[in-house]
Amino acid sequence: MRAYKFLRPDGRGVFSAFSWPPPGDGPGEWVEAPLEPCRSGIHACRVTDLPLWAGRSLYEIELDGEVVEQRMKVVATRGRLVRRIEAWDDDLRAEYTRMCADRAHELALGQSPPLEDWDAVVEPSVREGPALLGFVAARIAEEIDGIDGYRRERTRQTDWLVERLDLR
Amino acid sequence: MFESSEHITCREVVETVTEYFEGALRNDEAELFEQHLNFCEGCDWYVDQMRTTAESVGQVREEDIPPEARERLLSAFRDWRRSE
Repeated sequence: MRAYKFLRPDGRGVFSAFSWPPPGDGPGEWVEAPLEPCRSGIHACRVTDLPLWAGRSLYEIELDGEVVEQRMKVVATRGRLVRRIEAWDDDLRAEYTRMCADRAHELALGQSPPLEDWDAVVEPSVREGPALLGFVAARIAEEIDGIDGYRRERTRQTDWLVERLDLR
Repeated sequence: MFESSEHITCREVVETVTEYFEGALRNDEAELFEQHLNFCEGCDWYVDQMRTTAESVGQVREEDIPPEARERLLSAFRDWRRSE
């Protein structure tokens, strides 16, 4: 199964701090771990999970062995990094963050009366990057349309990432 | 345990950090906990500090404590008991 994995800028796991064997001319070495979601195993994203885990560097990962799909992630017993997705660079992260910020403003100020308290948190959050701004935009949508609004906004963010990262 | 099925608040992170360290959260709860840490710098820092503290405390053995510090601690506890 092909999936995606965000890592720290130095190639370590965001939560595990595990140093992943990087891909070179070909895929990196296989990594194996017992499967125990959130505790052990190779954790990765489907495209629909990308906005939830947006981080600094993004890789395509090949999963093998036992694979379990969970609500917000997929976990496997084996995985190897196939390639770094170079398109997810500083510029695109900033562009995605700005898209989410603009959308958050649009949602907050498009209400009558405007959601001014929510609108006020948008710009100060921009420096913290894409994951937070994606969450802020989705939370504002939830304030307006309930949990379905939140989910629709996350889908909208996924669509943007799929298109701009050419993940189809 | 959490109010929303899609996300958790900073308060919920603080309230469940011990369960998170102990692996006592259900998978879906741990997923929401880590998703929050991924976007919230403040909670990420807080959880890091809590982990460091827990690891430090867990590594201190009685014989590692210098005699003077041990005596001060015992004295403080004796005073605390008397003040109860």
